[in-house]
Amino acid sequence: MSGERPLNVVESLGAAVLGVVNDFGSYTKFTAWALWGILRPPYRLRLLIKQMYFVGNQSLSIVLITGAFTGMVFAVQSDFAFGKFGARGLIGSTVVLALTRELGPVLTSLMVNGRVGSAMAAELGTMRVTEQIDALESMAIDPIQYLAAPRIGATILMMPILCAAFDGVGALGVSWVATHVLQVNPGPFFDRMAWFVDPDDIWGGMLKSALFGFIVASVGCWRGYHAKGGAEGVGQATTKAVVAAGVAILVVDYFVTVIMAPLSVNRI
Amino acid sequence: MDDGAIQLVDLKKRFGAQEVLRGVNLEIPRGKITVVIGRSGTGKSVLLKILMGLLRPDSGNILLGGQDMTKLGDSALLKMRNRFGMVFQNAALFDSMTIYENIAFPLREHERLKEKELKARVDAALASVGLLEHGHKDPHQLSGGMRKRAAVARALVRKPEFLLYDEPTTGLDPIMTAHVDELIRGTQDSTPGLTSLVISHDMQATLHIADKIAMLFEGQVIFEGTPDDVRTTDNPVVRQFVEGRLEGPIKV
Ligand SMILES: Nc1ncnc2c1ncn2[C@@H]1O[C@H](COP(=O)(O)OP(=O)(O)OP(=O)(O)O)[C@@H](O)[C@H]1O
Ligand SMILES: [Mg+2]
Repeated sequence: MSGERPLNVVESLGAAVLGVVNDFGSYTKFTAWALWGILRPPYRLRLLIKQMYFVGNQSLSIVLITGAFTGMVFAVQSDFAFGKFGARGLIGSTVVLALTRELGPVLTSLMVNGRVGSAMAAELGTMRVTEQIDALESMAIDPIQYLAAPRIGATILMMPILCAAFDGVGALGVSWVATHVLQVNPGPFFDRMAWFVDPDDIWGGMLKSALFGFIVASVGCWRGYHAKGGAEGVGQATTKAVVAAGVAILVVDYFVTVIMAPLSVNRI
Repeated sequence: MDDGAIQLVDLKKRFGAQEVLRGVNLEIPRGKITVVIGRSGTGKSVLLKILMGLLRPDSGNILLGGQDMTKLGDSALLKMRNRFGMVFQNAALFDSMTIYENIAFPLREHERLKEKELKARVDAALASVGLLEHGHKDPHQLSGGMRKRAAVARALVRKPEFLLYDEPTTGLDPIMTAHVDELIRGTQDSTPGLTSLVISHDMQATLHIADKIAMLFEGQVIFEGTPDDVRTTDNPVVRQFVEGRLEGPIKV
């Protein structure tokens, strides 16, 4: 791009495609190596526990607040819809189904992405531009195994727990708004909720959230690991990580949901 | 060639169209301090990274005790890095750890030591750089010179045969510069068998601490000699660099 002449459309499109292909290759290689790093020794249990604590500690409060208010607002919205044909007893079951199957995993991972994915990108990016990653390597330590493996492992393990917490407070939120604010009859409300919502919905949502946790941590670590050019580069890596992981969560969610859908159809 | 610890033979390295190293030949003598000087961007850091095995050269050899490091596989290379210690330009201490933990880190990772032995080793390293009372602090609580000293302690703690310093004094004030130079010289003198390689822009310090000086220019070593050789040489490139003049064969 020497400024000799402006790029034509084909060229800039080509460059963009090449960039995406390069990124994909680099991400795949990085992530495969990090996963292999989880499986082979040395196992750094202490780092894993430290990262699990970090993930939980960073995100629990925002996940609880988000969960509660999501449940509450969906109670009000579905009351508006169900009230039109006198099916307000279905509010609880519908909202809890939506929470456990979809809103829990997606909103939890988006919040954790903003909190933890960005922190991972910033931390590894800072380590990169301050030569701390080179220092690791110069001490005969595999930096991807040392840095990325425990972060990815910890986020995969913690995300389902956070997702379950989201589901739990979400269910409390919808129940409280429905029975106390909207004055829905509690009897049928809780009966239907118990009848409609299957443990598989909860497990399925938690499983999905583990996958999203993998996306959040691997993208954050990858972007940070390849950061260049000082504080600005770290900032860019952080922004790119959060955006890329956020988009990836929604895209992957669609495909996973489509694949998983037939599994739950036959039970109704 | 018993005193030749490391021999660089015709090392070449390019990045895309840019030829950085165009055949570097250099002998790094055992038990001495060799200082590599040269303009910014001539490839001194690249040379150090190649030596450390962090970058692979396009061609050429690095001979170390009859072995060619450039031919080593990944696991042999990893083992080889255990014989090296590197002090990074900005210290590159891990800021998630205290100074003590930074220095304990390479020991914890590579040597199975009892906590007591470990503490003895780390304390000895800390004491050798005058930081014994500062082990509990985080890196950001130390001054630049103290961080540099901690980095030296970390590089030294496993008693490597080779110590590489990448511009250890760039960006320090004159007094701190003198202090770090003293540290490099002192470490060398108090550690038998240690081979040091220092990259520096600072001519005064170089003349002060070096046993041997090599100048890298346009991808090759164009001068090797003792500090006295440097002072008296009539090589125009070296003269211009040493005196910091604008006129001469080196064009800005
Ligand atoms: N990873 C890399 N990719 C592409 N080019 C590089 C890379 N590393 C170094 N270079 C280029 O190689 C040349 C030499 O870089 P190097 O860092 O070795 O310089 P230097 O001699 O250490 O300079 P300074 O004294 O300023 O530290 C520079 O022009 C740099 O742009
Ligand atoms: Mg350099």
